[in-house]
Amino acid sequence: MKEDNGSANEALGEALNEALNEALNEALFEPKIVGFLCNWCSYAGADKAGGAQKSYPPNVNVVKVMCSGRVDPQFVLKAYDGGADGVLILACHPGDCHYKEGNYRALARHRMLLRMLEQHGIEAARCRFDYVSAGEGDRFVKILTEMVDTVRALGPLKALV
Amino acid sequence: MRTGVYFCNCGSNISDRVDSEQVRQKVGNVSDVAYFKTFGLMCSEEGKEFLHNDITEEKPDRIVIAACSPRDHESTFMRILSGAGMNPYLMQMVNIREQVAWVTDDLQKASEKASHFIKGAVKRVGLHKPLEKKAIDMSPDVLVIGAGPAGLKAALTIAESGRKVAIVEKRAVVGGEPVLYEEVFPNLECAPCMLEPMLNEILHGEHAENIEILTKSEVIDVAGFYGNFIVKVKTEPRFVDLHQCIGCGECIAPCPVSVRNEFNNGRDDRKAISLSFAGGLPNVPFIDMNACLRAKGEDCRLCDQACPLGEGIIKFDDEELVSERNVGAIVVAVGSALYDSALIPNLGYGKIPDVYTAFEFERLLSSTGPTSGQLQMSDGRVPESIAILHCVGSLDKNHNEYCSGICCQYAFKFNLMIEHKLPGTFVTHLYKELVYPGKEEYFLYKRAKENPHATFVRTVNVNTLEINRKSDKIEIKNTAGGSLMADMVVLCPAIVPSKSSGKLGEILDATRDRFGFFEELHGRLDSAKSKVRGIYLAGTCQSPMNIQQAITQGMATAGYVLSGLVEGRKLEIEPITAFADEDKCSGCRVCMSVCPYKAIEFNTEKQKASVNEVLCQGCGTCVAACPAGAMNSNHFTNDAIFAEIEGVLA
Ligand SMILES: Cc1cc2nc3c(=O)[nH]c(=O)nc-3n(C[C@H](O)[C@H](O)[C@H](O)COP(=O)(O)OP(=O)(O)OC[C@H]3O[C@@H](n4cnc5c(N)ncnc54)[C@H](O)[C@@H]3O)c2cc1C
Ligand code: FES
Repeated sequence: MKEDNGSANEALGEALNEALNEALNEALFEPKIVGFLCNWCSYAGADKAGGAQKSYPPNVNVVKVMCSGRVDPQFVLKAYDGGADGVLILACHPGDCHYKEGNYRALARHRMLLRMLEQHGIEAARCRFDYVSAGEGDRFVKILTEMVDTVRALGPLKALV
Repeated sequence: MRTGVYFCNCGSNISDRVDSEQVRQKVGNVSDVAYFKTFGLMCSEEGKEFLHNDITEEKPDRIVIAACSPRDHESTFMRILSGAGMNPYLMQMVNIREQVAWVTDDLQKASEKASHFIKGAVKRVGLHKPLEKKAIDMSPDVLVIGAGPAGLKAALTIAESGRKVAIVEKRAVVGGEPVLYEEVFPNLECAPCMLEPMLNEILHGEHAENIEILTKSEVIDVAGFYGNFIVKVKTEPRFVDLHQCIGCGECIAPCPVSVRNEFNNGRDDRKAISLSFAGGLPNVPFIDMNACLRAKGEDCRLCDQACPLGEGIIKFDDEELVSERNVGAIVVAVGSALYDSALIPNLGYGKIPDVYTAFEFERLLSSTGPTSGQLQMSDGRVPESIAILHCVGSLDKNHNEYCSGICCQYAFKFNLMIEHKLPGTFVTHLYKELVYPGKEEYFLYKRAKENPHATFVRTVNVNTLEINRKSDKIEIKNTAGGSLMADMVVLCPAIVPSKSSGKLGEILDATRDRFGFFEELHGRLDSAKSKVRGIYLAGTCQSPMNIQQAITQGMATAGYVLSGLVEGRKLEIEPITAFADEDKCSGCRVCMSVCPYKAIEFNTEKQKASVNEVLCQGCGTCVAACPAGAMNSNHFTNDAIFAEIEGVLA
C-alpha cells in the first residue's frame, strides 16, 4: 500500500510538474511570426514605422519579396514547419501593386491557403493577409501588434501534419 | 563557403539599441560565417574604403551587411562590391536599423531579433548566384500618335535634338482640335496664329527633315518593348501626292460632287475632293472616295485635268498602305472627345435646331467655319439671345462624376466672343459649379461677368432642364422652377476619352483609368508615363486639360525620351527576372495568364513557356503560380527564400 501510495504521489507530482511547465511556457510564450513583405509598399511601410521610431513587438521576422504575388503557399507552410506560430503577408493596397495586380493574385492565393490550413488544423488567424502602403507606418505597427497579440492568445502552434 | 558579416553601428543609431557583441556571439558560430566585423559608419567615405579593402583582403564568397534599410544603401554597397571585383548580387543586406534598432525598446530583444534576421541572410546569401545586368541596343527614334498640340510639341522637341520622329495622325490635317477654333482662352488669342509658328517649324523648319508626318493614318499593331518597338501603321490613300501638290486648290471647283462637310458640323458642303478647311495643314486636298464618281464606275477626271502641275499629282490608283517603323519609344497624344449630349435627351440635342455642342459652336465662331465666322442660326437669322449650359454630363454620377475643368473657360471665351461679334446679344450661363483656378483664368471670368448683357444662373442639375422649341425660339424650362427663352443653346459637355482610345489601349497594352483615359504610371510623379515602359502620355488622352497643360505634357514626354533613350546607350536589363525550366514546364500556360507584362512567350511547337527578360519586371507572380515548379526567379529563388525562412526561425 505504501509503495502504491508512493507511485500515485509520483504520478501526481509529474502531472503537476507538467501542468506547471505548460503554464510557465504559456506565460513565457513568445510567438514566432514570419512576415512576407512586398518590396514596394509594405516593406517601405515598415521602414516608415522605423523612421518614426515607433516601437513594436520584436516577434516578426521579415522576409522581403518583390511582390506579394511572389508568396508561394509553400513559403507559408515552410514557415510553420520551421517553427513559426503565425504568418503575415503584407501587400500594396488594391490598385497600388507595383506590378499592377500581384496583390490580387496574393489575395486569391491566401483564400485558398486558409482552406488548406484549416484541413491541417491551423487556425485562419495564424495566417493574415493585409495591405500596408509605403506611407502607413502606423498601420504597419497596428497590424503587426494585433497579429502578435492574436497568435499569443492562440498559443504555440502544436504540430503540422 | 566563406561568408563575411559586416555590422554597421550607423554612428550610434544601431549600436545604442543593438549590441553587436551579443549578435556576434549568436551568429558567429553559424556555419559559413567566416568572420563578423563591426564598423562605425559604413556608408561614410572611410566606411566604404574599409569595406572595399576588407573585401579585397578577405576574399569572402558571400557578404552580409547588417545596417540600414536596403532602400537606403543597397546600391551603394553593391557598387563597392563591384569595385572590389565581387559580383554585387553575392551580397544580402539586413535591415537592422529601420526594422530592428529603431522599433525595439529592449536591447536584449533587439539583439536577438537582429541575430534572427542575420541568420536568415547568411542562409540565403549562400544560395545567391552571380548575376549580370544585360544590355541591349535601343532605337533612339520615336513614334508620336496624334498631331494635336501635345503630340506636335513632343515631336518637335524630340526632332530638335536630332532624333527621327514619325507622327501618326488619323485626320488629313495636323493641329488637333485647336486648329478648328477661332480664338483661345485665356487671352482670346487667335488660335491659328498661335499654332502657325509651331506647325511651320514642324513642316518646313530647320528640323523638319527629322519629322515624318503620316496623315490619314492609324497604328494597327505594336510589338516589342522599350527601346525596340515595331509599330505597324495603316495609311489610307489620299489620292493626291502629298509632296508634289502645291495646294493651289484649282482641282476643287470643277468637282461635280458635293457632300456635307464633317469639319463644319454638316452645316455646309464640301466637294468630293477638298481641303479639310481653309488653312488646314498639310495644305493638300484629299479625295473622299466614298463620294467620288469614280467609285461609282464613272471615269470622271475633272480634278486631275484642272491640276496646273499636270498629270501624276492626282493619283486615282493610290492605295491603302501598311508600313512598319522601328522605334524606341511611343508618345500617345490622341486627344479626347465630348460626352455625347444625346445621352441627356431632355436637352434636345440632335432634335432641336440651334442646340449646339461646344465644338460645333467653335466652328460657328470660326472664320474657316460654315458661316465664315458669322454668328447665324440654322435658318440664317441672327441670334438675339444665347444660353450656354455648363456642366453637361459632368459632376453627375449618372454620367461623369468629375469636373472637366476647362469648360467654364471656353464658356467665358464664348461669352466675350459673342459680345464682340454681336454686341447686345443676351448671354445666359446656366451652371452647376463655376471654376477658374490659375493666374489668368479668374480675369476671363471677371470680363465675362462684366459683359452687361450676360447673366449667370446657377442650376442644380441639367437633368431638371427641359429644352423645347416654342415657335421660333427655344424654351429652357427648369422643372425645379423658372424658365427662359433663347435663340441658341450651347452645350458644354464633359471631356471624355475618345472612342478609339480603347482599341489603341489594347494595341499598346497600356492601361486606362476608371474613366477610360490613359492611365499614368503615377498621377503626380510620373504623369507623362504610362504603365508600359517606353510608352508616354501627353494631352487630353490622359485627362481633360487646356492647351498649355497639353503642351507641357508633350514637353515632359520629350524629357523622358531624351534622358532615357540616348543614342548609342544600351538598355540595361535588371537581372532580377523570372526564368523557366523547360524540362519541368508542362505547357499549362498559367504563368501567361498571371503575368501583368505579357513577358511570357509560348513556343507552340515545343509546348513550353519562356520568359522575355526585357519585358519581365521580376515580380515573381508567375513563379508562385506555376503548378509544375518550372518557373523560378533570379535572386528570389524558391531555395533562397526557403533558406531565409529557415534562417530567421533558427
Ligand atoms: C469646345 C472646346 C474649346 C476649347 N477651347 C480652348 C481654349 O480656348 N484654350 C485652351 O487652352 N484649351 C481649349 N480647349 C482644350 C483644348 O482643345 C485641348 O487642351 C487640346 O486640344 C488638347 O490637345 P491634345 O493634343 O491633347 O489633343 P487634340 O487637340 O484633341 O489632338 C489629338 C489629335 O490626335 C488625333 N487622333 C485621335 N485618335 C487618333 C488615333 N487613334 N490615331 C492617330 N491620331 C489620332 C486627332 O485627330 C487629333 O488631331 C477647348 C476644348 C474644347 C472641347
Ligand atoms: S508590389 Fe506590393 S503587392 Fe505587388
